Amino acid sequence: MSAVPEADAGRRPVLRAMPSLRDAGTLIGLALIVVVFASLTPSFLTERNLINILQQSSINACIAIGMTLVIIQGGIDLSVGPVAALSAVLSTSLLVAGYPVPVAIAAGLLIGAGCGLVNGLLVAYGGLQPFIVTLGTLSLFRALALIYTGGNPVLGVPAEFRAIFNGTMLGIPTPVVIVAAIAAAAGLMLRKTPLGEYLLAVGGNEEAAYIAGVPIRATKIAAYVISAVLAALASLILVGRLGAAEPILGNLWELDAIAAAAIGGASLMGGKGSIFGTILGAVILGAMRNGLTLLNVQAFYQLLATGLIIILAMLIDRAARGAG
Amino acid sequence: MAPPARLSINVLSRSFPGVKALDGVSLEVAAGEVHGLLGENGAGKSTLLKILSGVQAAESGEIRIDGAVVVPAAPVAARRAGIAMIHQELQQVPELTVAQTMFLGRQLVRAGVFVDRAAQEARCRAILAGLDPGIDPAARIRDLTVARRQLVEIGRALLDDARIIAMDEPTSSLTPAEFDRLAGVIEGLRPRGVAVIYVSHKLDEVKRVCSRATVLRDGRVVGRVDLAGTAIPALVSMMVGRDLATAGHSSFVRPQTLLSVRGLARGAAVRDVDFDLRAGEVLGIAGLVGSGRTELLRLIAGADRPSAGEMVLDGKPFLPPSPRAAIAVGIGLVPEERKRDGILPLRPIASNVAIATLGRFTAAGWIRRSRLRAAVTALVRRMALRPLDIDRPIRLFSGGNQQKAIIARWLAAEARILLFDEPTRGIDVGAKAEIYGLIEQFAREGRAVIVVSSDMMEILRVSDRVLVMREGTAAAMLDRSELSEEAIMRHAVPVSAIEKEAA
Repeated sequence: MSAVPEADAGRRPVLRAMPSLRDAGTLIGLALIVVVFASLTPSFLTERNLINILQQSSINACIAIGMTLVIIQGGIDLSVGPVAALSAVLSTSLLVAGYPVPVAIAAGLLIGAGCGLVNGLLVAYGGLQPFIVTLGTLSLFRALALIYTGGNPVLGVPAEFRAIFNGTMLGIPTPVVIVAAIAAAAGLMLRKTPLGEYLLAVGGNEEAAYIAGVPIRATKIAAYVISAVLAALASLILVGRLGAAEPILGNLWELDAIAAAAIGGASLMGGKGSIFGTILGAVILGAMRNGLTLLNVQAFYQLLATGLIIILAMLIDRAARGAG
Repeated sequence: MAPPARLSINVLSRSFPGVKALDGVSLEVAAGEVHGLLGENGAGKSTLLKILSGVQAAESGEIRIDGAVVVPAAPVAARRAGIAMIHQELQQVPELTVAQTMFLGRQLVRAGVFVDRAAQEARCRAILAGLDPGIDPAARIRDLTVARRQLVEIGRALLDDARIIAMDEPTSSLTPAEFDRLAGVIEGLRPRGVAVIYVSHKLDEVKRVCSRATVLRDGRVVGRVDLAGTAIPALVSMMVGRDLATAGHSSFVRPQTLLSVRGLARGAAVRDVDFDLRAGEVLGIAGLVGSGRTELLRLIAGADRPSAGEMVLDGKPFLPPSPRAAIAVGIGLVPEERKRDGILPLRPIASNVAIATLGRFTAAGWIRRSRLRAAVTALVRRMALRPLDIDRPIRLFSGGNQQKAIIARWLAAEARILLFDEPTRGIDVGAKAEIYGLIEQFAREGRAVIVVSSDMMEILRVSDRVLVMREGTAAAMLDRSELSEEAIMRHAVPVSAIEKEAA
């Protein structure tokens, strides 16, 4: 490596090492919510409750990481909930049938990958709109899960499997550790690998990316496969927690994930988004629900609050961009 | 005291990032005068027309009509003030009838709700009688020739009682016979007291239609001339600001052939094109808009697949299935529509430059940022990118600097064949000269360059040879010794138009 030009031009601006301005904004939003709830109820700001919030947010965060990657490359994945359900009922069936835990986990993730491949191939080669493709597979995968189970939950998950997802590492729930690790990996992938550059390029300007030699189809397929594998993983976390797999699990997961990504700064037009921001977005939604539950606010009003926070976040985002 | 001019434009200015598009331009047109507006691409003519028609706002200066200040804040306001614009690309709805088009937005209404078609068509017929009695007010726009559609626009302006009609390159798609008719119509506008601004590159037409002209260069007025007493070469040197013959050209053509193209075709757009491209050669491709030049470049760049023909690169058959494949063997396209096909707007310069060759900066799956940044910085420094900040999103740079980044992309990819499609469109004069310098430098290094351009000065300046395209075919290959604007145009114009002229 030549040292001379690097010392000069290769130096990264100091700001680069820190979260972006947009992420800082999301962080302030989260801090505000924490302060408000902490002042309203003393039980909010306890170590146990904070860990609770992270655990409750982990499933949505897991889905939202994949969703963010899909949104960044200019698409949308509405099928994450049904992918999760299909993967859950099939891998749980394997467990119940006595297959070893690692085999069942691998099978669940592979089924997710297969579903993502279907989405990706239809978008990349079928020339269809991602919204329509995943709207179709949303019904399709859900139907497969229902047909396979006859609509009944798959019960009898072995304790060995549940222990994996219900344990703690250094006092932190395993699902939180798993999702944190995945977030770190996704963040690195986005910033430090060619696939990350390609996702941002395809979402920002597909035609220009094509002329510049970006493998458009492979990039799109990769995004949908990652999204579906993470949906499958989220379903395994849920099965571990509940001890059963329902074919209707994951209903409306896609909307929570899109909300987390949008609050975190992902542009539904593509080309823009941050994994760190998405994680913050998922935690904001989780903290809201947790705080409102502690305050004994009715579920109907929780829904109202969720809707308001999404619209408020977008308005602030819009105003900040207009000013900047 | 003399009455105020019908239109008077006083010290109008407007800047864009990196360019002063209009710099204190003043202009007067009397009632009944047809006034030419001349200048090279980028001289400021379009900006002036856009301000006049309310599409853009001026930063300073004023516009007066019959002595009263008007501020065309929006196209509707301009139309209400009596300013009508005849665009080069007519903006009409093909499915509407002539009468519907002329009355669009101001329909005659009966009983409060019903459009009075009969009354509209009667008024149209009366107005069109003075322009071209052959146009049926009930005919659909899509069934008319371009020339007649244009007359419908002029009729619409007359219906609006426009006091000023601005025409932007009105004859770019007209045959000579149609131009004669248009010239007659414009002549007929004079007694009505309409002030006409006539923008055209075709100086002989301007001389015939206009009495006086204003010449713009780099956003400033460089001449106000009486056309009767001014020869065309004098107008040209005023527009260009230099003697054309002095623009230097050095040739670096080497003997070995890099790329051979034989019988290349894609549908009707490109038909049976042959040529050889040698190392160090700059091959210009001239032709009218729609003659297949862009389509030909896209075939070579792997962006589209040919329907017939073959290419040979380094003596081996070459048929790129994708731009990625073409890039891998050293071919890069600098596209015409920079915003649509060139830049990744949200990404920094570093990503825009490196995107085509990330593999080169990747080890064990990870992008080596420091290596990438060092390489990109060296390249954009050589291009004199301003500002020299590779972390800044490319959309914040001027058009010329965006173009430099796209060129740097292909240098990063070590392209041996660079394909430029309208390399200086929408770029200010300074950056233009820099891009010509880069093209010459690439040739000196032994790279081959193809330049597609509609700018005749550009083609004449950079090319070692010029391929003239006409209706998808290679009409002629001109050596530098045979190069002239006339020679190019003779081959570029469709034969049917010449026959019509002769008839």
